[in-house]
Amino acid sequence: MVRSLLQGALLWALGLGLALRLPGSVWKGVTAAPPFPWQALGPAAMALGAMALLAPLAAWLGGPRLAQRRALALLEAPPDLLWAALLLALWPAAWGPPGLVGWLLAFLAAALPGEIRWLCQALPGETPFPAAWGAAAVSRVRRTVLLRLWGRWLAARLPLWLTATLVLERILGVPGLGTDWMTRVAARDRPGLAAWILVLALLWLLSQPLEREDA
Amino acid sequence: MRILLLALCLCLAAPLPLGAQMVEESFSRDPGPLDYIQGDSYEQWILQSLAGDALVGIAATGRVVPRLATSWKAQRDGTITFTLRADARYTDGSLVDAEDVLWTLRELLRNPKASPTKRAILAGATVGKDGGRPWIKSPKPLGRILMELAQVPIAQKGHPDRGSGPFSFRKEPGAWVFDRREHFLKPRIDGLRFRLMPDAGSVLVALQKGWLTIGAPPIRRQGEVAPTHRLLIQPMHAQLVVWSHVGVGPLQLLERWRKDAFPPQLLAQNARPSRGLWPETLGFEVQAIAAEAAPPKGPGTLRLSYVAGEDSVEKLLLALRERARRDGFDLQLLPLEQGLLVDHLQKGDFELGCSMVVFEPEPWAVLEYLEPSGPMNFTGWRDPRLAAVAGRLQQPGDFGWTELQALWAKNPAALPLLDYQSVIWVDKRLQVEPSAMGLYLTTPGAAGWRWSQGSPEK
Repeated sequence: MVRSLLQGALLWALGLGLALRLPGSVWKGVTAAPPFPWQALGPAAMALGAMALLAPLAAWLGGPRLAQRRALALLEAPPDLLWAALLLALWPAAWGPPGLVGWLLAFLAAALPGEIRWLCQALPGETPFPAAWGAAAVSRVRRTVLLRLWGRWLAARLPLWLTATLVLERILGVPGLGTDWMTRVAARDRPGLAAWILVLALLWLLSQPLEREDA
Repeated sequence: MRILLLALCLCLAAPLPLGAQMVEESFSRDPGPLDYIQGDSYEQWILQSLAGDALVGIAATGRVVPRLATSWKAQRDGTITFTLRADARYTDGSLVDAEDVLWTLRELLRNPKASPTKRAILAGATVGKDGGRPWIKSPKPLGRILMELAQVPIAQKGHPDRGSGPFSFRKEPGAWVFDRREHFLKPRIDGLRFRLMPDAGSVLVALQKGWLTIGAPPIRRQGEVAPTHRLLIQPMHAQLVVWSHVGVGPLQLLERWRKDAFPPQLLAQNARPSRGLWPETLGFEVQAIAAEAAPPKGPGTLRLSYVAGEDSVEKLLLALRERARRDGFDLQLLPLEQGLLVDHLQKGDFELGCSMVVFEPEPWAVLEYLEPSGPMNFTGWRDPRLAAVAGRLQQPGDFGWTELQALWAKNPAALPLLDYQSVIWVDKRLQVEPSAMGLYLTTPGAAGWRWSQGSPEK
């Protein structure tokens, strides 16, 4: 445990060092970094909350066999770019720009299939048991496993979800956490990037107790 | 999937947005907080020009016109005394006075984090007031300092984010909103709303769906104007420039290649090959390189660093590479991230470096190439005659400009490849005034726009 903590801390320290010593300069461009978009935290929390509920729910309903379904693979294949462009093209002109609602829909469409498959693949096989014991037993096993997985899955995916919506944000014109990260890179806001790294490292540290496996 | 469908249905049932008489616009990058002291980027200039007033303005014709100052008087020693308007007020209702002017200018000179552009404008200047009228004494010629002061809006004393401009600013989540206010320029549109849309494809969709009043579509789709919009082409003080750290030879080659390297379908409407050394839009005559040595002969290798990720520029540089090959030169293209390229340029760690440059709207902007501390003098260019020639430049159009360009032409350190034009779509109902400075940075700028018929249906 201590060894894995030290290894992780070393990696985060390396990331911090890279952020603080990021090469490059700005010229005739943005000199002051933008303020942190606090208003983006609400939508991000909403998106993560929806994801944290919908993906385990779908995995619970679908079971391990869902991971093998071609339909899920087809939904998983298109990149964020395609979902965002599709939503933008289909969104009725009279409704005005898609905004946060559109962003949330595109985020779920882009991320949910992959996360569902991730969870379904982690579920144990169900034949011959618990399938032979009936639907109630199957459901109970899935629920137990998913409850055990949930925390670790969230901890593993959270940093990715927090920043990987950049493409959706750019296409839908909804600046959020991904845009903030990239703007700080462009403006060479080294302290801001270091703060980002520290927050992600803190999330990782807080998730460590979830990794423990009871004997 | 049922849950997804349910979510979709819920969204479809969401209330429709209400109509508003706002001009809808977009930024390609975040302008940062409105800050008259520290803010420094093209987008920040737009914020400041809408929400603030400089002492003087520049009309669409390029002439200096009154703004916060109704008049000014220059003395022989270079001191300019301004008479301020009596009806200019900040958003809190207080009058703009000389104290605000002095505070803004002194803060720009004092604060090391202040806008580098504005600090350069005020370099060597002293400020004061005389009977309630602010004065500025600058070592720069009168014509230059007046044009440059148009880029220095005045903030309220102690409030670097508060201006007296024709629109009041408020930040909404994901949007920068400007509302019309009582102002001496008498703005005729209700306001403007900017959203962050870095993707040109999204701007195109938003224009086609009527979500944007003004926008720049992707280059390859510029001609397919939506029926609700019209095409507006404005000259810009912008060029794609190549610096050479290996002497004038490569620039002589590029001067030859730029004439026939770029296919018209790649250039589209927003660029054309440059003809001279400095922007014609700033009033410079077309001037060729006048180096004594003949251009180098192939075979040879040249390494050109440029900003990665600009699709249109990359295609044009590929065309340039093919043209170089015909003369026996291997033009190696080295893409770099913007910040890294700037680092290489500033450290002189390059052979040929290429970047887009947006010049300030006055001819003195080219001195950035020439002055020892000029922000575009990446090669350490110098000439003992520079100080004498530059000292004679009192007004745009003076003979000294020809002399200065001839000096540069003998041994230039940079050469423009392309002159850019701004190609935008504008809602047919909106009357705007195009200029080489764009739609916003002139006086009256957006305050002079109007809707041609009633309320726009949004």
